Amino acid sequence: MKMTRQEFLKTLLAATAMPWVGAARADQGSPVLVGATVPMTGPLSLTGKQYHNSLLMAEEDINKAGGINGRSLKIVFEDTQASNSTAVNAFVKLAQETKPSLFFLSSYSTQNLAVSPELKKVQVPAFYAGGADVVAEGGNEWMFRVRPADSVSAEGMVQCALNVLKAKKPGILYIQNDFGQGGAQTAAQRFEAAGVPVVGTGAYGQNDKDFSAQLLGLRSKGIDVLLIFNYPQDGALVLRQAKVLGLKMPLVTSSAALVPAALQLLSAADLDGVWGVVDTLIDPSVGGRMQDFVERFKAKFGTDPDPYGLAYYDGAMLAAEGLRKVGADPKALRDWFASVKGWQGIGHLYSYDSKGNGVFDLAIVKSKAGTKSLELVQTIKLN
Amino acid sequence: MTDLIQLLINGLAIGSVYALAAIGFVIVYSATGVVNFAAGQFVMFGTFAGVAMLLNAQLPWPVGYGAALLAMALFGALFFAVLYLPLRASPVVTIIIGTVAIGITMQNAALLAFGSWPFRLPSPLEGVNLTVAGATISAHAVAAVIVTALMVALLWLLFFRTSLGIGMRAVAQDIKAARLMGLKVNRLLALSWILAALLAGVAGLMLGPMWFADTSMGDPIALKAFAATIIGGFGSLPGAIVGGLFVGLSEVLGASYVSSAYKDLISFGIMILFLLVRPQGVFGERVQDRG
Repeated sequence: MKMTRQEFLKTLLAATAMPWVGAARADQGSPVLVGATVPMTGPLSLTGKQYHNSLLMAEEDINKAGGINGRSLKIVFEDTQASNSTAVNAFVKLAQETKPSLFFLSSYSTQNLAVSPELKKVQVPAFYAGGADVVAEGGNEWMFRVRPADSVSAEGMVQCALNVLKAKKPGILYIQNDFGQGGAQTAAQRFEAAGVPVVGTGAYGQNDKDFSAQLLGLRSKGIDVLLIFNYPQDGALVLRQAKVLGLKMPLVTSSAALVPAALQLLSAADLDGVWGVVDTLIDPSVGGRMQDFVERFKAKFGTDPDPYGLAYYDGAMLAAEGLRKVGADPKALRDWFASVKGWQGIGHLYSYDSKGNGVFDLAIVKSKAGTKSLELVQTIKLN
Repeated sequence: MTDLIQLLINGLAIGSVYALAAIGFVIVYSATGVVNFAAGQFVMFGTFAGVAMLLNAQLPWPVGYGAALLAMALFGALFFAVLYLPLRASPVVTIIIGTVAIGITMQNAALLAFGSWPFRLPSPLEGVNLTVAGATISAHAVAAVIVTALMVALLWLLFFRTSLGIGMRAVAQDIKAARLMGLKVNRLLALSWILAALLAGVAGLMLGPMWFADTSMGDPIALKAFAATIIGGFGSLPGAIVGGLFVGLSEVLGASYVSSAYKDLISFGIMILFLLVRPQGVFGERVQDRG
């Protein structure tokens, strides 16, 4: 068979282009991959299970709504357990094997700090929920926070103590880690600046179970309000022991002690006189998207959602919008997230600053008398 | 003074739990020569037996407590039959490693069965507080001290006033001589494990309402019970009681009057001091091997 030069060139061109066309078609049909490294087992799964469930629900909702420009979204999970090294291994595994377009990291700052250098190497944007200020101060341009920073929460707790409870002699009790120490220091500085210095401070270890020494020591200093920086389980135990020891002053707790996982450990009496600063009040009675989210979450997983899980859901929706607008190129996606201003999620209004902090609003809550349900006292918006 | 009373009661209540775990430790060690590294997980199982009976099965508390303790007794017998009996001819170190492995298995089994969320185990004395010299004291904490005292009294009666207990002491002293004297050694050894599991069950049921029931609660208890037996004297029942109470009190008073950051350092520091200066502990007897 004789072939003209023109025919030969057309055939060559077609043969060269064929694999690329095939790949493009395959890419069009393949899902957009997102990696999620969250604590699904071990003691941190108390909140980690919520992130897992919220992201599963977000994946389903995004795909029901048409996915990412016709492609489905698939979230691939790895368990970080309660260990920094496991968190790093989980991240590296996903980065090397799955090669996702973006990541969701855990809400534990120590794990976020451990993973941060690896994320810098991989250069893919990541949402995280750890509150420690030091994470954002590290200057990793690929990290975007979906919750208020601890300094924002501490500021909210101080405002609650000063403005709502009119504290004159505040005390602080904190868990001894990056989160607790950072929060306690920030709160002490804010009290000092307001001319109401802290009269007593106590600390406890992450695995401690008895807080009577710290609580009685603070009471003996005559404090009139106690701020508590805690995780869910220890936070619930502190609130219970404070009641058993007969502490009468108002207690202002950070958000972890008021998530459903912690509330199921408390009685209504344990919450009497307890105030708290939560990321957002999960209240289905406000209707709209909040009600829809709460009802569907409860129906799907059999538990109430918590504000941390809601932050991950919001983050997934924000990620989907970015992927639809600029595609899966990591740099373009990072730049788009960095430019987000006033994006309205269910839980928060997201506006990212140069350090990747996106949330600056909180809610002061209090339990309704004789019940375990929380009611809004006031919302706080900080710059 | 008010605070001191509250701290003392709290320290004694926690110390009572450590003492019960330590007594179980000592009974098994005296009878079999095995250091049971699953002792903390025994207490954790005791708490979760309470969760299963009182929360899951919704049994009224006297029935629930009885059923939980019965379950622990059966567990002790099972532990003897499945782990100790097949390994009894092996070197002691093999059995000790076996207890470590079983402890890890127990923790993971509890995690699979109950999940990672903690439970709130109720106390029959929930919300009942006593006021002593201005101090508010939890009735449950007082009950924990009284129950421990009662258990110690019952143990004394068992060991010194019943033939069963005297037989157990004989086995603990010299297993070969006990066998030659016609004692049913295996049955008495089984009883030692059952007793240890029962004591752990009581400790777990008392501890559950003070802490939350959580599958990782066993490890710190095992460490404290171990420190208690070293301080009190390895193999000594009075030593286990005194050691347990000492560790509990030093933990609470140390956190209050020294520093909460160093409270564990205080009890473990004293334990190391005993190992260096008086390895036989407060009540232990000096034993010398002939060269």
